[in-house]
Amino acid sequence: MSEFEPNIVAFLCNWCSYAGADLTGTTRTHYPPTVKVIRVMCTGRVNPLFVAQVLRTGADGVLISGCHPGECHYMKGNFLARRRFIIMRNLLEFIGIDPQRIRMSWVSASEGKKFADVITEVTEDIKKLGPLQSFKENVNGHPKTEG
Amino acid sequence: MDIQKLRDEAKRALGRKEIEYLIGYKKGSYGFRISPCFIETKEEVDQLTFSPLCSLSLVNYLTIEGKPLLPADEKKSKAKKVALLVRGCDSRALNQIIAEGGISPDQLYVIGIPCSGVIDLKKIEARFPHTPDPVDVVEENGNYIITINDQSHTVPVDELKAETCKTCQYPTPLTCKKLIGDKRAGNPPQYEDIQILEAQPPEEKWQFWQNQFSRCIRCYACRNSCPLCYCDGCILEKLKPQWVKRSVDTNENFMFHITRAFHLAGRCISCGECERVCPVDIPLMKLNRKMEKDVKELFDFEAGLDPEVKPLLNTFAIEDPEDFIL
Ligand code: SF4
Ligand code: SF4
Ligand code: SF4
Repeated sequence: MSEFEPNIVAFLCNWCSYAGADLTGTTRTHYPPTVKVIRVMCTGRVNPLFVAQVLRTGADGVLISGCHPGECHYMKGNFLARRRFIIMRNLLEFIGIDPQRIRMSWVSASEGKKFADVITEVTEDIKKLGPLQSFKENVNGHPKTEG
Repeated sequence: MDIQKLRDEAKRALGRKEIEYLIGYKKGSYGFRISPCFIETKEEVDQLTFSPLCSLSLVNYLTIEGKPLLPADEKKSKAKKVALLVRGCDSRALNQIIAEGGISPDQLYVIGIPCSGVIDLKKIEARFPHTPDPVDVVEENGNYIITINDQSHTVPVDELKAETCKTCQYPTPLTCKKLIGDKRAGNPPQYEDIQILEAQPPEEKWQFWQNQFSRCIRCYACRNSCPLCYCDGCILEKLKPQWVKRSVDTNENFMFHITRAFHLAGRCISCGECERVCPVDIPLMKLNRKMEKDVKELFDFEAGLDPEVKPLLNTFAIEDPEDFIL
C-alpha cells in the first residue's frame, strides 16, 4: 500500500496568507502537495462550522491561515477568527477529533518560506495521526448521498 | 415561595397601563405538567402558580411572541410592555438576549423569583407513573411534599431535583424590577465529569459521543426548549444551503450537535432544559458545560451576567490565547 497522503483543506485569507502561498510558488519553494486551498477574503469570513463540514466530507485536516495580529486588512477579522477557532477546536477535541487536525497560522504576504514550513509541519502531524476515518465515513454503513 | 405574593405582584404589574400582558406559569392539564399562561386582566391572576415543577423557561415565549408579531419600527412605536416571571437562569438568558440585541429591555417588566431548583420531570414521572390528575408540589426542609389525590408523599429533594439545579450558580435573578422572596446563594461551579471525559483518548471520546448521538431522533426539542435558540431561520433547518441533512444518520447527528453546541458557546446559561426535554437522554449538558468551562478559562467570560457586556464571539482581546497558532 502506498504511503498515506493526507487531504488538507486550507482556508487562506486573500490579503496575507494567499499572497504568501503565491510567493511560495513564485520562489519555487517546495512543500507537500497535500493541501487544497480555498481563498477567502478574511479568516473572519470562515464560519467555524466549515471546519466540521470539511472534516466530515473528506478532509483529514483543516488549516485556517490569515494575517498576523494587528495586520488584518479589515482590522479585526483575524482576532475574531482566533476566538472562534479556539472554541471550535476545543469542542471537536472534546467530541473525539484530535486537535492536531485543526490548525491555524499567521502567514504574511512576504512569508513564502513560512507557508511552506506550515504546510510541511501540518502534513507531518496529520500523517502521524492517519486518515480521519471516524467522522469521514458514514457510521451507519450506508453510503452518503450527494446533494 | 409565597404564591399570594406572586399574585399580588402580578396584579400590581397588570395595573400599570403600559403592561399588555404577563407571562407566567399555570397548572397543566394533567399530572406533573405545567403550562405557560398569558394573563391580560387582574381577574385571571388566580391561575398563576409557581412550584418546583416549573422547569420550562418562559423566556421562550417572549421570543416566540415578540419576534414575528410586528416589524421592528412598528414595535417601537407601540409603547407596550410584557411582564415576565423569571428564575435565576431565565434572568441570565434575558441578559444574554438583550446583549445580543434580540429583545429590547424597554419592552420588558421583569418579576424575579429566587429559585430553589426545579424537579426533573423524567425523575418524578418515573417515581409516580400514571398520574393523570393535577398534582401539588412544595419544597420543605430538604423534601418535596407531593400531593396526589389528597394523599401526600415525601421525597428527599436530592432524588428528584434536576441535575443542573443541584449545582446552579445563579439561582437569584440578576436583573429584575421586582424580586419576590429572599435572595439565594449560588453554588460553586463543578466540572469534574467534564474533566474525566476530557482526559480520555480521542477514540474513547468519539465512541462515547457516537453511542449518544446515534440515538438522537432529531426531534429538535432541545433547540425548541432553549431560551437562547431564538434565531429566525435556524441554520439547522435551512435548506439553502443545507448544513445538516434531515435524515437521522449518525454523521448528520454529529454535525447537528456540533452546530448546536457551538452556537451556544458563550451563550448557554445552563438552565438544563435541553437535556431534560430530550426524549432519548442525550447528555447535552456535558457539551454545554464543556463550552461554559472553556470560555470561562480562556476568556474569563460567563454568559448572561450583564446585559451591557457584548457577546463573547462578537468581541476579542488582543491578548486572547493563541498558543495553538503556528
Ligand atoms: S443549551 Fe440547554 S442549558 Fe443552555 S440555555 Fe439552552 S436549554 Fe438551557
Ligand atoms: S441552533 Fe443555532 S441557528 Fe439554530 S436557533 Fe440555535 S443558535 Fe440559532
Ligand atoms: S432533544 Fe434529544 S433526540 Fe431530540 S434532537 Fe435534541 S438531542 Fe436529539
